[in-house]
Order: sequence, then C-alpha cells, then structure tokens
Amino acid sequence: MATQPSVLSGFIGRHRNAVLGGAAVALFFAAWQAIFFVVPFNPLFITKPSLIAAGLVDLIESGDLFHDLAVSAVPFFLGLFAAVVIGVPVGMVMGRRVRIGYALDPLMTVFYASPLVALAPLLVIFFGVGLPGKTIIVFSLAVFPFVFNACAGVRAVDHLLVNVVRSLGGGERDVYLKILLPSVLPYTIAGARIAVGRALIGVLVGEFFAASEGIGHAITRFADIFAVDRMFACILTVMVIAITLTEGIRWAERTAFPWRFGQ
Amino acid sequence: MAEMQTLDLELSATSGTLPATASRQRIESIALGTAAIVLLLLIWELVPHFLPIKQGTRLFFTVPSRIFETLWEMFATGSIWAPLGVSAAAFAIGLALAIAAGLPLGILLGRSKTLNAMLDPFVTAFNATPRLVFLPLLMLWLGIGMWSKIAIVFLGAVFPLLINTHEGVRNADKVLINVVRSFGASEWDVARLVVLPNSLPFIVVGLRLAIGRAILGVVVAEFFGAQDGLGVVMVRAASSFNVDIVFAGLIIFAGLSLIMTGLVRLFEERTSRWRPQRAANE
Amino acid sequence: MAAYIQARNVNLSFRPPNRGAVRALDGFDIDVEEGEFLSIVGPSGCGKSTFLNVVLGLLKPDSGEVLIHGNRITGPGSDRAMVFQEFGLLPWRTVQHNIELGLELKRAPSAKRGAIAERLIGLVGLTGFEGHYPHELSGGMKQRVGLARALATDPDVLLMDEPFAALDAQTRDLMQTELLRIWREARKTVLFVTHQIDEAIYLSDRVMVMSKRPGRAKKAFTIALPRPREYEMRVTPKFNELKLEIWNALKDEIAV
Repeated sequence: MATQPSVLSGFIGRHRNAVLGGAAVALFFAAWQAIFFVVPFNPLFITKPSLIAAGLVDLIESGDLFHDLAVSAVPFFLGLFAAVVIGVPVGMVMGRRVRIGYALDPLMTVFYASPLVALAPLLVIFFGVGLPGKTIIVFSLAVFPFVFNACAGVRAVDHLLVNVVRSLGGGERDVYLKILLPSVLPYTIAGARIAVGRALIGVLVGEFFAASEGIGHAITRFADIFAVDRMFACILTVMVIAITLTEGIRWAERTAFPWRFGQ
Repeated sequence: MAEMQTLDLELSATSGTLPATASRQRIESIALGTAAIVLLLLIWELVPHFLPIKQGTRLFFTVPSRIFETLWEMFATGSIWAPLGVSAAAFAIGLALAIAAGLPLGILLGRSKTLNAMLDPFVTAFNATPRLVFLPLLMLWLGIGMWSKIAIVFLGAVFPLLINTHEGVRNADKVLINVVRSFGASEWDVARLVVLPNSLPFIVVGLRLAIGRAILGVVVAEFFGAQDGLGVVMVRAASSFNVDIVFAGLIIFAGLSLIMTGLVRLFEERTSRWRPQRAANE
Repeated sequence: MAAYIQARNVNLSFRPPNRGAVRALDGFDIDVEEGEFLSIVGPSGCGKSTFLNVVLGLLKPDSGEVLIHGNRITGPGSDRAMVFQEFGLLPWRTVQHNIELGLELKRAPSAKRGAIAERLIGLVGLTGFEGHYPHELSGGMKQRVGLARALATDPDVLLMDEPFAALDAQTRDLMQTELLRIWREARKTVLFVTHQIDEAIYLSDRVMVMSKRPGRAKKAFTIALPRPREYEMRVTPKFNELKLEIWNALKDEIAV
C-alpha cells in the first residue's frame, strides 16, 4: 500500500516514541501559553511559559541562579560523597560477613523505611542552617540506598570467584579489592540513582527551614513576594537537574552494564 | 608465612542449605538483629553516665527511656490522637486519590503505546523530581491546610502506582493473550483473565512504594505548610528544644510506615503463591 | 466430497515497523480430510506457524481464504483449538482451572465445567494434579494440560504448533505415543506442525512439505503405515524410505 517511504517518515518511524513525547511536551507548553486567551490571567497565582522564560533569562544574566545553585550544590555533593564513602564499605561488610549482616539488617531497614526527614528540624537546630546542617541531612538521607545496594551486590557475588582468588593465595583484602569492589560497582551506581533523589530532598528540606541562600530558598523567597514567574523558573530548573541526574545515571548504567537489564 | 586460607564457606552458608540449618539461620538472624538494636539502645541510654556532656549539648541530648516515657504519656493522656488523626487523614485521602488516579491511568498507558509515548516525558519528569519542590507553589495555590498536604501526598504516591501498574500491564505474556483470544475472548475477557492477574503483583509493589512516599509527603508538608498534624507538633517541639517529642513523633511515623508496608508485603506473598521464586525489585 | 478444511491461495505478508514487508505465505493451498492427522514440515521461518494461526483465526490473510466445512474462517471459533509450543498456561491458575478456561469463555455452567475437566484430566493422565500450579509441573505435564484445555471445548479441529519442541527427547517420544492414544479416543482432525520428520511420519496420515519462505505447499506424502502405530515401526525399512523421500523434498528448502 505505501510507496517508497520518505526520509522523514523513516526517521519518525524509527524514533516514534521520542517524536511523540517531544510533540506532547511542545503541545503542553503551547496550550499553556494559549489558554490565557480564554481564561483570565492572574499574575499572583499563575504564569505563562513566555514569562517563565523571561524570568529564567533574567536570573541567569544577573548571576542569581548560578549563585543559588552553587550554594545548594556544595552540601549536595558533599553529603553524597560522604554517603558513598561510608555507606558502600558498611554495606559491603554487611554482605560479606553474614553475622554482621544479620545484626545490622533490621536496624538499617528501620532507618531506611523511616521518614528520616522527620529528624531534619533537630539536625538543623543542632548543626545550624548553613553548610554543616544541610550536609548532615543530605548524608542521612542518601547513605542508606548505598548501604543496601552494596550489601546486595556483595551477596550476589559468585562464590566461585572468591574461591578462585583464595586458591591462588589471596587474602581477605584481595577478595575485597579484586572481586567485591568491582562487583558492587553496578549496584552502587543503581544506588546512586535512588540516593540522588533523596539527597535533593535533603537539600530542599534544609533550605526551606530558613536558609538565606540556595535554590530551595530561592523558591520560597519568590513565593513570598508572589514572583510566580521566577518561582516557576527555579522549580523548572530543579526539575531539569533532577531529571538529568536520574536519567543520566540510568543511561550510564545501561551503557556500562548492559547485561543487567534483563531485570 | 601466610596461613592456609579456608575456602570461602561462610557466604555459602546462606544458600542452598538443608532445612535444619535453614531454621537455625533464621533463629540466628532474629537473635542477632534484636541484640544489635537492644545493644544500641543500651549504649545510648548509658552514654550520659559515662561521658561528660557539654552544657550546650545537654539541651539536645535525650535517652531512650525518656523518649519512651514521652511516647507513653502522649498515648496515655490522649494528646496524640488529634494531631495523629489529622496526619492520618491527609495520608489516607492522598493515597486513596493516588490509587484512584494511578491505577486506571497505568492500565491505559499499558494498553496504548501512543498514549504512553506522549505521557512518558511528563511521568519521568515528575517521578524524578522531589515533590517537595512543589510545596511552596501548592501552598500558594491551596493555602496552608489539608489540601496542600493532600496534594503533596498525592504527587508522591501516584507515580509509583502508575509506573508499576503500567509495568504490570505491559508485562502481560503475549502468548497468554493469544491463548485466551484463541478461545474467543473479547478485549474485556483478555483484560480480566490475563492482564489483571498478571499485573496484581506489580501493583502491590507499587502500593508498597507509594505508602513510603505518602508518609514522607505528610511529614514534609506538615513541617513547612500546615497548622496541625503530628509533623507540626514535631516542628514546634524542635524549636523549643523538646527533643523527646521529636523522636517520639519519628517513632510513630516510622512505626506506621513499617506496619503498613509489612501488611502489604504479607498480602504480596499470599497473592504471589503461583509465582516461581523471583527476586524482589525496589 | 469437499475436503473438511480447504485453504485456497492464501497470501499473507508481515509488515514490521522500520523494515520492508516479509512475505510469509504465498498462494498456499491445502486440503485436509475430516478426522485426518496431517503434519506440516518445513524449514525454519517458512510460515507453517503462520498458517496455523490463520486457520485458528488470529491472523487474517491478505488474500485467499480458508474454509472449514464450507464456512469461511473469519476469526477464532469453538470448532478449532490450538496447543501452543510454549504451553501458554495461565500461571496463576491451577491445572483444573486452566483446563476450564475455554469453557468459562463459552459460559458453560460450573458443574459441567468441572465434569468435563475431570474427564480430560483422566484422559491425559494427570489425575491427582488438579490443584497444582503450572510452575510445579514438568514440561511434559504442562503440555498435557495444554492438550486437555484444547480438547475441553470439544473442537472439531486440533491445531498443534510444534507442541513437543520444548521437551527433552525422551519426554517427546513418550508424548507422541500419548498423543496418538488420546487422538484415537477423541477422534479430531489434527493439523500438526513440526520440524522433525520422524515425528511427522510416526504421527500422521499425511505429511505436507512446505517450501522455504514465502511458504507454499510443496509436496504431500501419504503415510501408508498401519494404525495403531507402534514404536517399532520407526525402525522399519518402510519408515526409512518415507523419511528419505520427505527429506529429499525438504532439503532443497533448507538454507545453510
């Protein structure tokens, strides 16, 4: 029935999902912009894509956006780094030494399942609203995915490999360095995907509590003065960052460890 | 001279063992787990007796016995029920709305590839973003009160439900669909006989995740944008250095979360009897 | 007298996205007599499963038609049932409830369903396993359930798509003998698709060789071996002659 397909329809055919998705997003923003031809526009409650874009440009040019992002980024990365450096070894030991695993598992499960955010007020009051407080909150939220994933990664290791190292005269340290550490790498990256989201929550919680700078604080700041367009601009920025981090890690997982995706 | 290392048997103790050793492991794991928790509580309780605590820190420091005393008091005097009720209401309504919206939408997305491709960017975006970032906006629109709380709970809970339902529907075995069709099944029969039973385990996992996120939503919403609820009580207690109440509140939230996800897990196990053993996913 | 199943000039192409159309069936013609056991053998990808799905009614040909008892096939119907290579049992249903599936869809009353299922469970030799779940069964047992399920709605035609391919060789031999026993009792017309020439000869009244893709009916062979078939027949000269004849017709179609 179809004659020779054109180049465009071939492209659309191959990338059908991306085209549909992109079209849907474009349609959404177009509709959002256009709806105010029929619906009254109250700048105190709502805004339009054009105004958001203008506000965003403004924030970028004045340097405010980057300043706030930079302030938020420090506790974010610091807390994440600490979470990896502490969480992964703890998880690995839990996985490797069965009895330690038995002992710590219930404890860790309770911590992971609890809304630890609930302790944030305490942490903020104790450590202050600046860098230390935010970093501790981020750490406490981000550390558990790493612990559990490292533990699962170690438990999933083929014992045969460990026996091979042992039979060649390797000691416990060699087992950790040559087998366990490389094996937990994919699990750690998967854990990072989860931890990143929780770390973001940590930063926002810390900043909503009366920080004076940071992207979270920017959002509340603009909300207070009803600068809805800039508020949306900041929210969208956070969304883009969250998506980039999460999907970026997912992409890294797929490329680096393609065999893991039968699950 | 290095000692002869024994072959790696310790790890293998947990896999493929005889029933007798398996139940010994269970006892061991429960015993060690409990012991660890008890030990931790004990050390915490005894710290002030052994370490000098600076005057400033004394304000923040509390011990398990005082926390449990406070908990007990909260329940005994009944002062807990009003705020807890408010929090529970927000949780329940938000979760119910999330189920009502997430399940049908997940089914739709599973059946229609076009719809799925179009909505995928939005679902991915909202799922990756911490819902907390919308709280100031929601407060702007809905005010400080029940509705912004419910909205945050809803936003947190709806995506795991939607995504997992979608996964369950999409996952339906094509062979089975053909089998049922070959007996003359209508589309509705196909959904009833194949898609729904197949999706159930996925939906249950989604529910488990949604509960965790819903509780998180209540907590953060009450910290920043509410007038009453358990979270509000906790924030006020924190600012007046009433640390016991903060921990007590955490215990209550954590306890509720654990009980509910535990119940869902139980239900999960019962409805999964027909499955060959599979690994759980997060 | 007109054949019971008649396929006339059936053409079918698949159009996968992003690739060119694939011709699966090309002017496929076949006649099947009532009560006959006909096997179709052909190289991989020649379209034999596709044809079976056309007879089943799940696939529509681009042109041409298939008639059963003079009626054109336009969709699935209770006069035909299929036994699938991958078994296709609903994992969340017990053996009994799996067998009752077709009856449920026909809205048969539950007492009747139970009675029919019980009889078939006895027929396929699974008494005692009514309450088991598929994952607790071996491959051979699963396929017995598949067979029972197909027989439950009392179809006139049984379509079997390489039903024993997923079984190990010994189970396969056993199941072939079982199938013949059950067929003797059930007396259905059977269209059986397979790769294996031995299997085709042992089971069938006639064997049809299909060409490679796009599939045409190449040549039909009558199997003049006495019934009931005995295992020993597999080592007779007559059997081997037939095997050689069929192999010669088939080997040109197989690409290496």
